[in-house]
Amino acid sequence: MEVRKHQKVTSRNDVFADKITTRIWEEVPSENNPYIASNNRCHGYDLIELMQQKSYVDMFYLLFRGNLPSLDERQLLEQLMVGLINPGPRHPATRAAMNAGVGKSDPQNILPISLTIMGGEYLGAGAVEGAMRFMRKHRRENPVETADAMLTELAEQRPKEGDWHIAPGFGSHFGGVDLMPSKLAAVLARLPASGSMLDWGMGFSSALNKKEIGWLTVGVAAAVFADLGFHPRYGAGLFQLLCAPGLLAHGMEQANKPITAMPFVSDKAYVIDYE
Amino acid sequence: MNKPDTSLWDKQRNKIISKKGGWFVGDGVYCHGYNMMDELVGKVSYMQVVMLNATGRLPKRPVADWFEAVHICLSWPDSRIWCNHIGALGGTMRASAVASTVAGVLATDSRSYGIKPLKEGVAFIQAAMVALKGELSVDEIVVNECEKHGGKPYIMGYARPIAKGDERVPAMELVAKNLGFSVGEHLKLAYEIDRILLAQFNEGMNINGYMSAFLSDLHFTSEEVYRICATLVASGVSACYVDMRDRPAETFLPLKCDDIDFQGKPHRTL
Repeated sequence: MEVRKHQKVTSRNDVFADKITTRIWEEVPSENNPYIASNNRCHGYDLIELMQQKSYVDMFYLLFRGNLPSLDERQLLEQLMVGLINPGPRHPATRAAMNAGVGKSDPQNILPISLTIMGGEYLGAGAVEGAMRFMRKHRRENPVETADAMLTELAEQRPKEGDWHIAPGFGSHFGGVDLMPSKLAAVLARLPASGSMLDWGMGFSSALNKKEIGWLTVGVAAAVFADLGFHPRYGAGLFQLLCAPGLLAHGMEQANKPITAMPFVSDKAYVIDYE
Repeated sequence: MNKPDTSLWDKQRNKIISKKGGWFVGDGVYCHGYNMMDELVGKVSYMQVVMLNATGRLPKRPVADWFEAVHICLSWPDSRIWCNHIGALGGTMRASAVASTVAGVLATDSRSYGIKPLKEGVAFIQAAMVALKGELSVDEIVVNECEKHGGKPYIMGYARPIAKGDERVPAMELVAKNLGFSVGEHLKLAYEIDRILLAQFNEGMNINGYMSAFLSDLHFTSEEVYRICATLVASGVSACYVDMRDRPAETFLPLKCDDIDFQGKPHRTL
């Protein structure tokens, strides 16, 4: 083997920050113990005052956006939060939570386990940023024309089996149009704070319906996040947060049951086929 | 609207068709065609089975030994490293060893460090080989790649962050030599890129570049490398977890309120 001369290992002496900086949260030290905070403030507002005067949705919006929402913004976010609160017991992320629950995994691990699966790019948080960017890119186009053009140009990409996501946030589900996302979007689109993304998505989805394609839940969430002014990179985490209650509820429901309370595929129905 | 065809899903209900293996109670445990207890346990290394499960192919022992060595190279017990830092935080707040280690491993799904850049490294050297065979010179390949980054030598697998030079490359070269591996065409190309970058930018190949080229010579795809290395950093994270778990709680880099530099809005009332 060739003998090579190796570069001597030396530090680049990168300059790292002396302190962690944040614009979100201020902890005011107490007089006697610099590790103990006497007051907490979120974007300048005292936490105790926020607890007494504001809703959880107000606080949620403030935390991420830096200011309290208008009444219309709060209404839109709150209705989305209700709509997304439970992916349902058939969703793979919920099933991961239930599996952890019935398997007697530590309760504190149920949410991280299921949220990790919810991070997936297929109907999960991993699809939200792409959907936000897709709608931002096309929002000035006529959604019907864009849909028709994509259906024509991408027709050959439709897989012979399985679902087709023609664009991030839009596709078929179990071979057809998923109905609940469309219902959620229709309700949300009527709210005053609903904006151009949701409106564009409604038109795009409708134009796709003729090919058994429509809104996916991640697309609806992406449109609302965009209309509320969230940056696309926040989309994945926000989606996970909003779905988390349902994941935990289903996981804990199974945690109190015997391990036999969920199906375990029989040997007869378990087939090894290396081909 | 037509009734959708759901036959794909109907066929899979209440049954599992595995291409990997399974356990049949009272019969045996099977893994990619091998009877695990009779043919694998005690006969092959753990890393060979890791690679079998990740790629579907049982590698020869030297390849698995090389992979095991590179796992040692890429995970060390320094809690300043980002994934290890997470393990240490888990220890200081008494999260479990499993949760903390997994959390650290999860952090390596990162654009900046860990396993994902390996995918890019393998993809780069394999694309560079295609370009070389398409009659671009190595110099032209380097120039083209640097042009994508404003003329700077930001090629995945070269110009290591934090430090210049990489002590892991000579260590793994020695491992490869002792295991009987020779230098293949991808590694030759990587060395040539290294030589050009050192001459022009004083930047050399890092462990990512070496691994990517070495494994490309063994015909691994970028996705296979990623899958084999999924838990690459686990041992270093565990070490940093244990270090802090065995000390008083919340003593890992404790922060006074004033240690956080608040740069947000001043106090305001509702």
